[in-house]
Amino acid sequence: MKKKIVIPGELVSEERKQVGSHVFMENGKIYSDALGLVYNDSQDASVVALHGKYFPQRDDLVIGIVVQETFAGYIVDINSFYYSFVSKEFMRDRLQRGSIISAKILSVNEINEAELGQVRVFYGGEIINISPVKVPRVIGKNASMMEALKIGTGANIMVGRNGRIWAKGGNTQLLSEAIKKIEVESHLSNLTNKIENFLKEKNNNA
Amino acid sequence: MSKKEEKTEYVKNGKRLDGRGTEELRPLKIEVGVLSRADGSCALEWGQNKVVAAVYGPREALPKHIQNPYKALVDYQYRMATFSVPDRKNPKPGRREMEISKVSGEALEKAIFLERFPNTTIDIFVEILDSNAGTRVAALVAASAALADAGIPMRDMVSAVGVGKAGGEIILDLNKDEEDAPDAVDIPMAILPRTEEIVLLQMDGLLTPEEWKKALKLGLKGCKQVYEVQKEALRKKYLEAEKEESEPNTETATQEEGE
Repeated sequence: MKKKIVIPGELVSEERKQVGSHVFMENGKIYSDALGLVYNDSQDASVVALHGKYFPQRDDLVIGIVVQETFAGYIVDINSFYYSFVSKEFMRDRLQRGSIISAKILSVNEINEAELGQVRVFYGGEIINISPVKVPRVIGKNASMMEALKIGTGANIMVGRNGRIWAKGGNTQLLSEAIKKIEVESHLSNLTNKIENFLKEKNNNA
Repeated sequence: MSKKEEKTEYVKNGKRLDGRGTEELRPLKIEVGVLSRADGSCALEWGQNKVVAAVYGPREALPKHIQNPYKALVDYQYRMATFSVPDRKNPKPGRREMEISKVSGEALEKAIFLERFPNTTIDIFVEILDSNAGTRVAALVAASAALADAGIPMRDMVSAVGVGKAGGEIILDLNKDEEDAPDAVDIPMAILPRTEEIVLLQMDGLLTPEEWKKALKLGLKGCKQVYEVQKEALRKKYLEAEKEESEPNTETATQEEGE
């Protein structure tokens, strides 16, 4: 199915509908506020953005990098507008600058500052960056894409909603190639099959 | 010398000095996503004008006292390269550049949903690499495309064009020769194309009310043309990828059948 690409300010729907993400209403009509793909059905209208920064949201799993240690905890870069703070109180491990952690966002306040909880520390591995708006494609429906990546590269993968992917073991070189491919072709359909074929081909050649 | 200038015909048989019609734009070419380290970027060529725009943010505004807890700040910086004009330009930002930065930044503020990004700043840097009149509108067109490329939520794009008078005729998109005409009037204008709301309007010279009405109409028409080019440029990347994909896709399908 081919989806329509809209630019900011372009008409999405002339009817009154439920207003989804990346759209706004003006004079009873619905317009897009971003460059993205239109999802329009009888109930609601929304746009899936193709570019953009990470907006912290409650219950998101994010991957952060420790920027600084303070007396009471650590300051963590979660690739958002502000750094977040993690208390040392419930943490067994001592972290350093550059340590990688994953955390759940407990709450977000009105200026988009995030409070973190359920901290896990990662040892080793590497970080692959991707545009945050393309994270859903890396996970896929019922994590189908992640499964394909795990099988194809043999790597252990953790995907954070903030556009950071932690990977350890396996063929991380191939993994980053595959993720780059996902990023470039994120607006096309049938992506999981394509990536499966891509990984198969690469593995056969090697 | 004055005799010679009087003789210059800026519009002759409906054609201008460079062969354009009175309501014709110079060739406009826009490409987005040209800088990898910026959040959004755009390279633009408009006649002889060459512009690069980069957008960073929204990011935390520092020092902290400039932050606004109700909305984001827009920091627009228009700069001309030293080699962009015939005589070397002093790289120090001058009075003209500061003014253009201010009014253009305010024009873009109208389009962006600033209230969604409290305490942050959106930095826009526009560098003029080559100039031949109408650089402030070229910069604005490039900045607007770069903002869309950065995924910053906007009410609308900002489209801009220069309109004015040379040799007694109202013409669209003046070049330097026309801007230097003895009776020249130059009106850079920017609009939000959907609502035709004017977000930037400056004028240099004198017009009669009739001439002004004609110029405004022509300017709005020109902005719409520019808008179409912006639209095309932003979509291009994705449409191309789609085309490329559709062909190999059928190939792989047939291959699988063969196997």
